[in-house]
Amino acid sequence: MDTLWYPPAIACYAVASVGFITDRLSGGGRWTRPATIALGAGAGFQAVDLLVRGMRAGNIPVANFEESLAFFSWLIALAGLVLIVRFRMAVIGALVGSAVTIGAGVAYVTMRHARLVLPEALRSVWLPIHVTLAFLGYAMFALAAVVSLTYLFYESRLKAKRALAPPEAGLPSLEKLDRINYRLLAWGFLMLSAAIITGAIWADSTWGHFWSWDPKESWSLVIWFMYAALLESRLTVGWRGRRAAALTIVVFTLLVGSFVGVSLVFPGKHSGSFG
Amino acid sequence: METTLFILGVNHRTAPVAVRERLAFAEAEVVPALRRMRGTAASVAEAALLSTCNRVEVIGVASEPARAFDEVARFFGTDRSVDLDSFAASLYRLEGREAIRHLFRVGASLDSMVVGEPQILGQVKLAYALAAEAGTVSLVLHRAFHKTFSVAKRVRKSTLIGHGSVSLSSVAVALAGQIFDTLKDKTVMLMGAGKMAELTAHALASLGIESLLVTSRTFDRAVALARELGGTAVPLENHKPYLRMADIVIGSLAVTRPILTPSDLETVLRERRYRPMFLIDLGVPRNFDERLNTLENIYLYDIDDLDAVANKSLSERQREAEKAAVIVEEEVESFARWMRELEIVPTINDIRQSMEHLRDVELERHRAWLTSLPEAERERVERLTRGLVNKLLHRILSGLRGNGAAAPDPLYTAEVARRLLCEGSGALAAAGDDPDDDGEPV
Repeated sequence: MDTLWYPPAIACYAVASVGFITDRLSGGGRWTRPATIALGAGAGFQAVDLLVRGMRAGNIPVANFEESLAFFSWLIALAGLVLIVRFRMAVIGALVGSAVTIGAGVAYVTMRHARLVLPEALRSVWLPIHVTLAFLGYAMFALAAVVSLTYLFYESRLKAKRALAPPEAGLPSLEKLDRINYRLLAWGFLMLSAAIITGAIWADSTWGHFWSWDPKESWSLVIWFMYAALLESRLTVGWRGRRAAALTIVVFTLLVGSFVGVSLVFPGKHSGSFG
Repeated sequence: METTLFILGVNHRTAPVAVRERLAFAEAEVVPALRRMRGTAASVAEAALLSTCNRVEVIGVASEPARAFDEVARFFGTDRSVDLDSFAASLYRLEGREAIRHLFRVGASLDSMVVGEPQILGQVKLAYALAAEAGTVSLVLHRAFHKTFSVAKRVRKSTLIGHGSVSLSSVAVALAGQIFDTLKDKTVMLMGAGKMAELTAHALASLGIESLLVTSRTFDRAVALARELGGTAVPLENHKPYLRMADIVIGSLAVTRPILTPSDLETVLRERRYRPMFLIDLGVPRNFDERLNTLENIYLYDIDDLDAVANKSLSERQREAEKAAVIVEEEVESFARWMRELEIVPTINDIRQSMEHLRDVELERHRAWLTSLPEAERERVERLTRGLVNKLLHRILSGLRGNGAAAPDPLYTAEVARRLLCEGSGALAAAGDDPDDDGEPV
């Protein structure tokens, strides 16, 4: 393992997950603050880790699948923190915390010891822009899926007429979950679009053509169309609520499946990372 | 004679409303009633009168509770012009610890019909204020009421006694809060003028809604109700176009078949672009087809569903009430201890004074010798005698206090101590003049 900062980050993420899960199980409220602080501390430690790694690599540290996974987990932790603190969505903490802990943990365990050097062709100012935009987009989609899962859970409770959640549990209303899901999708879509455009510009400046039907490029386009359709259905027909939540989860599952599959199976210029 | 707290009264468990309403006092009647009671019930030293729809009780202080019970019961009869025999069997008579416990439980809403309801504490506070105004409160009741307030606060803080929605309208409001983020931009449609429906609409409207539509069997009734609740009347035969605006629909029409069916609402939902709807069916027979709940973004609760949710909260509260009872028990113990100490306070003061006096007398007798001593030595004798007196006092007082907990009659013990230790009443007084004690330094 490269830096001293990564293990404490994972430990903090794990503590945050336990805190958020306890919070849910015990009715909610009491553990929100400490768990949020732990999540923030984890993101802080990992920020230092990424900085050290980035300085060594001379660029954004996404030389291989594991590093990319670590970077992606960090972005989810950050965006999750924004949702939890700014939008009072502590309810997603348990899922976000667990996802980040698992992501960062898997990256740590599988990380190769050999120092990876970026191929000359990829060293460019476009790399951090393109990769960060793409990963931020995926982080939004991941959070949208988490919010949708939460939506489906509480929606089915309401439909089944189970006991009311006590007000101190601080549960968001269905309307709020639905609105946040929409916003995350819209932001994620914007970032994915920007990532595709910057990728094309970068490809043009490096290889002289915008698009080469690399497997990752093709899949990105498919994913882009799926999210476009998802947003379109909401804006025109008004598909919202359960249907929108279910579709968000389905599309995100496809996204994960395709990208992990593509980067493991097909070689290509994106093969170093799963972005 | 030991003064004690007592409570005499009726509540929703011991007396039907027919009895309670005849014994009840309106707020304005309480102060004069307390003053009248002071005139007739001679054995009552302090008193407060708590009268709500669920209870009428006198909280008092007396040294002969048995006499006080009779006098207050008779006062109820004459003051309310009710035959004593008609309610005597419903009266509860509590004294000492039981009275303290009852007062604390009432204040903490453990004795309420709906356990944990928040109004009772305000009513107890009012009773205290009125009694203070009537001038019938003194040391013991001041302390008892303040303790009641702090116990209630402690119970609220450390249990979930006041949590969950236990009435139909509050359940409906809580559900609306779980579906909608805000009601400020929502429209409520009230179909029919059932009492429960009206209450629910009112509860929602008081939180601030965008608009209220009212429809009823007769348009006149709808107009009247709309005026009362601050809404707009809609003719029943023409309500369908308005449904698309309604985010919450409350039904309580007298119908033979459901007035809203899935096919009606499928169209409405499309027009609303699937914005969620909350249907509250308070009608019997039901106004809304139960299959509506299977439609996406429609949440249908009928009266039984709301009832079930309310009952769950209520049983939750009962569980919390058991935790609260433990807290109350602790506080009863500490208040009872205070009452006991109150009784022996005069004795303690007497003993302290008597012993201080003894010390002064002895020092005075040896003044000639003391003045011959250097400053530092004199200081030391001073400290020595004071220390001796304090040690003795401490042992006696802690014996009296500690003894109070176990002894059958702490007052008797205190009296014995007084006899033994106080001047003019026993042995020590004589010892002060002992001629053999020549005051030589030891």
